[in-house]
Amino acid sequence: MRIASWAPVIVLLLLCAIISVINPNFLSFGNMVRISQSAMIPLVLGIGATFIIIMGSIDLSVEGVLTLAAVVLSMLVLNGENANDYGLFAVAAVLIVGAGVGFINGLINVRLKVPSFMTTLGTWFIGVGIANALLGGMATRINDPWIRGLAIERFWGFPWGVWVALLCLLIALIIQNYTRLGRHVYALGGGEELAALSGISVARVRIAAFTIAGVFYAVGGILAAAQLGLGNAQIGNGRLFTTITAVVVGGTSLSGGQGSVLQTVVGVLIVVVLSNGMVLMGVPPSVQIGVQGLMIIAAVALSINRKLMKIIK
Amino acid sequence: MTAEIPTLSLVDVDKRFPGVHALKRVSINIMRGEVVGLIGENGAGKSTLMKILSGVYQPDAGEIRIAGQAATFDDAADANRKGIGMVFQEQSLLTNMTVGENIYLGNEAQFTRFGIVDWGRLYAAAERQLAKVQVDVDPRARADTLSFASRQMVELAKALTLEEHAGDHFVILLDEPTSVLERAEIDILFERVRALKSRASFIFVSHRLDEVLELADRIYVMKDGAVVADLNSSEADTTKLHHLMVGRSLQAEYYREPLQRPYRENVVLETENLSLGHAYKNVTFQLHAGEILGIAGVIGSGREELTRTLAGFAPHDSGLLRIDGQSVRLTTPAKAVDLGLGYVPRERRVEGLVLFLPVAANITLADLATFTRNGLINSREERRIAEGWVERLRIKTPTINTLCLNLSGGNQQKVVLAKWLQAKARILILDHPTRGLDVGAKEEVYDLARAVTSEGLAVILTSDTLEETIGLSHRLLVMRDGEITHRTDAAPGHKPSQIDLIGHMV
Amino acid sequence: MPMNSSLKRLNIDRLRHWLPLATLIILVTVVGVMEPVFLQPSTLLQLASDTAVLFILATGVTFVIMLGGIDLSLQSMASFSSVIVALTIAQLGYVSFGLAVGTGILAGFLSGIAHVKLKIPSFIATLAMGGVLFSAALVASKERSITLGDAERSYQTWVTGSHFGIPNVIIVGLIVLIVAHVLQAHTRFGRYSAAIGAGEPAAYASGVKVDRQKIFAYMLSAGFAALAGVILAGRLSSGSPTLAAEMLLPSIAAVVVGGTAITGGVGSIWRTLVGSLIISVVRIGMTFLSVNIFAQNIVFGSVLVLAVAVTIDRSKIPIVK
Repeated sequence: MRIASWAPVIVLLLLCAIISVINPNFLSFGNMVRISQSAMIPLVLGIGATFIIIMGSIDLSVEGVLTLAAVVLSMLVLNGENANDYGLFAVAAVLIVGAGVGFINGLINVRLKVPSFMTTLGTWFIGVGIANALLGGMATRINDPWIRGLAIERFWGFPWGVWVALLCLLIALIIQNYTRLGRHVYALGGGEELAALSGISVARVRIAAFTIAGVFYAVGGILAAAQLGLGNAQIGNGRLFTTITAVVVGGTSLSGGQGSVLQTVVGVLIVVVLSNGMVLMGVPPSVQIGVQGLMIIAAVALSINRKLMKIIK
Repeated sequence: MTAEIPTLSLVDVDKRFPGVHALKRVSINIMRGEVVGLIGENGAGKSTLMKILSGVYQPDAGEIRIAGQAATFDDAADANRKGIGMVFQEQSLLTNMTVGENIYLGNEAQFTRFGIVDWGRLYAAAERQLAKVQVDVDPRARADTLSFASRQMVELAKALTLEEHAGDHFVILLDEPTSVLERAEIDILFERVRALKSRASFIFVSHRLDEVLELADRIYVMKDGAVVADLNSSEADTTKLHHLMVGRSLQAEYYREPLQRPYRENVVLETENLSLGHAYKNVTFQLHAGEILGIAGVIGSGREELTRTLAGFAPHDSGLLRIDGQSVRLTTPAKAVDLGLGYVPRERRVEGLVLFLPVAANITLADLATFTRNGLINSREERRIAEGWVERLRIKTPTINTLCLNLSGGNQQKVVLAKWLQAKARILILDHPTRGLDVGAKEEVYDLARAVTSEGLAVILTSDTLEETIGLSHRLLVMRDGEITHRTDAAPGHKPSQIDLIGHMV
Repeated sequence: MPMNSSLKRLNIDRLRHWLPLATLIILVTVVGVMEPVFLQPSTLLQLASDTAVLFILATGVTFVIMLGGIDLSLQSMASFSSVIVALTIAQLGYVSFGLAVGTGILAGFLSGIAHVKLKIPSFIATLAMGGVLFSAALVASKERSITLGDAERSYQTWVTGSHFGIPNVIIVGLIVLIVAHVLQAHTRFGRYSAAIGAGEPAAYASGVKVDRQKIFAYMLSAGFAALAGVILAGRLSSGSPTLAAEMLLPSIAAVVVGGTAITGGVGSIWRTLVGSLIISVVRIGMTFLSVNIFAQNIVFGSVLVLAVAVTIDRSKIPIVK
């Protein structure tokens, strides 16, 4: 790791130090649990987006997949609207839905050569649209105790959802560091032509990465549904923004090739700690979106290697 | 020698591009354990040949044979699988990944169990590859922490992984591998290549004839898309090779020498000790109205960067640059254009023209202000101007609304020239102005160069061939390692010979 | 360039050129046959009025897309603009409209600076700017919708009234059309934009001040988005931080469906007009066919991706990221 990639860690530590000086409550166990609860969904989403951004692409479909996943889950598990009660099968179905949307993203990107930001802009709204159509503008209450338990039941003081997010992190680390796919994602970001010259199937890697990202967003949908106790079409609102902020603030470069899942963990913590701190200090949540916007600009501006980029579109 | 089957051979390979016959029935053989040099001027067909060998292009006719068996390469990865390794002049390592990952990029399957890569085994194998080229590099280091020389060695090590699946018959293409290296590093590279001859065959492409003589066992000389000589290094020297590369003697008529008028008294552009980083230093010259000033030099001589400085892409960092007596620093092309410079770039289709705009819009692009009234473009005036240039320069285009994309190279180049003439540029920078053009189109460019200088425009010329530079120029500068090593007049009838200049170039 | 491939290219270009208009005519015919009410003048005027805001948003982003960029902040800008109007119209009267549009131009300037000077890709710079604007709108409005009273509405007759039976909003739309068309087709800015979108290196080498043109395009985009917000505030008699939240996708879809390529260089305001009308007709058609209103995003999202796939010039992008 280089010095530059430690900068986010230093920022995080400084942030924690400042907030705990102003409000010592910040360091209490209760607040740590609160932070972990608000970090678990951004973490899972950020992990998925990290793979895409390392590849040099972007994924705007985060909210679409998450909403669709949450709604499908709410309608398949024990719920207040219909007689379904598929339990774990519902979870599996939701993961497949996420993988499916991701797969379609990859397919459109690779086969139709539609740039990823346009592809995923489209599937973002298609996802939310389908979720809306399924619900007809209503919300579905989740009664499944296992799903609700993700948010309520605790293990070692932390909700199960947090442990699920950590499991996702572990899986992502393995994919990133110990599989060919993980390394090829870096190769694509470092230089797609060179990667192709080395015999890497660019199309396959891209489709696989989008698919994996879709699965992680679907997990995010499950956690979001568990946290809210229902599925509705607004459940994804604002999540794309937080996700991209976290990935970028963590130091993963939008131009591709640089960054890691671990850096995204730091990025997520920066975003979550900052908003936690702002809540402790009484700053209204509406200001936080603006602060995140400025953070994105600052982080990207600091991380871009301008010498390498001649034309920015 | 005839009894042995070549490791790789090309038999009557032919390749055409629109307007250019790039390879004319080229046949070459590479024997096992041989280092074959490949030389020729730019445009002689070397790079097309290399691209066919590396699978980027497919031949229109003829055959590639590996160990006597006919082979086709679908793409670069396929050529690689079939035993063609490549070491390029531009770095082809992924700088964001480790040395070991680079060496086995795309070939990690052998270290993968149940989908999990065994990094220990991969790095151990990488270490063995690095040992083959005797380079002391940690396979776990990121590629961007290495010197250029070490990266070159890593590329060689990567190419040698071909041994694992291509068996005995594999060839490594060394494409200008020395251009970024220091002399000591070149010595090491050559030593390693010689040591590896027992394992592989090599094709070595370089502009530096002395290096080719030093390393290659046998040399193919290319000219105008054909192989014109195949000789053993022991029989050759740089003078002989250069003669073979250039071939014909100067034809005064071809470069319109009778039309070369003496240049005028007034200096339009001058430099004094102009320097830019490591690219060039202490460059001093004067350019007069009506003059064509040719700059000769090999790749790395600094002439390319000097040209870019004058076009506004790479401002100088010390020394003086005066245009019409005013000291200036050209920080952007827009500034250069304002001062009356016009850049005819070598990348015509990228920097010369907006291919996806019509002919008319390209001709007027640098001069829209003159026929804008109250903020509105006078489109009737624009049409009139564009049609005027199409007629004057005999630009062959269906209409002025045709996209430049659909024009031939020669006519595209005329559009670029029309743009600068319309913008009333007083100094033209012709950066390889005839690259990729056929003979007829070249002659038209020469005619135009003569015509505009007769009217008092000044021209700075760099060119693919020395012949062209000498033939067109009034005066010549020769650059080597960033400095001017020689200046000479080139009046009609008293043109210097190429051999005179070569001595100052290499 | 071999002859047959350039012929093929011409045909594809011609197809790309006329396809949007043909689509619009077919759509109008189909909906008209199924629901004859649709072709009555009053319905058509209603359609045109409903299209105006979408068209103005799409017009702004057309300038940016022509350059090969994108503006993802336009819906937040329009909403913020409606909030500005709603908050200040009582004190400032007509000046509040100028304030809103001026704020838009300033925001566009900042996006442009972030994009050009800090070299941040446009989709990220504008996404971030969108967040800042949304936040500003939330704070300014105290997170609620502000309804305008009768006194305040009197300033908005230029939006809500009509002349000779034609709603004013259509007239405003036509003025925008003319201004934007002139800008795009008859000024140096328009020409330089096309040149930058079609071949930035060549435009730069020809002395075009690329950065300046880009910043101006983002100012136009945000300025038109703010104008759209002003009109929206008039039509809905309210201002709210989410007033235009659903407008981003249809706006970009309108530009792309009209045949402007997101790779830049090719496009016009007329195409954006055709694209906006297509989107409106599709929307009305879906209502007539009683397609679930919530499902409309599915249609628009699919149309967007499809239209990009059809209009994109693959020869210009060897690597699709």
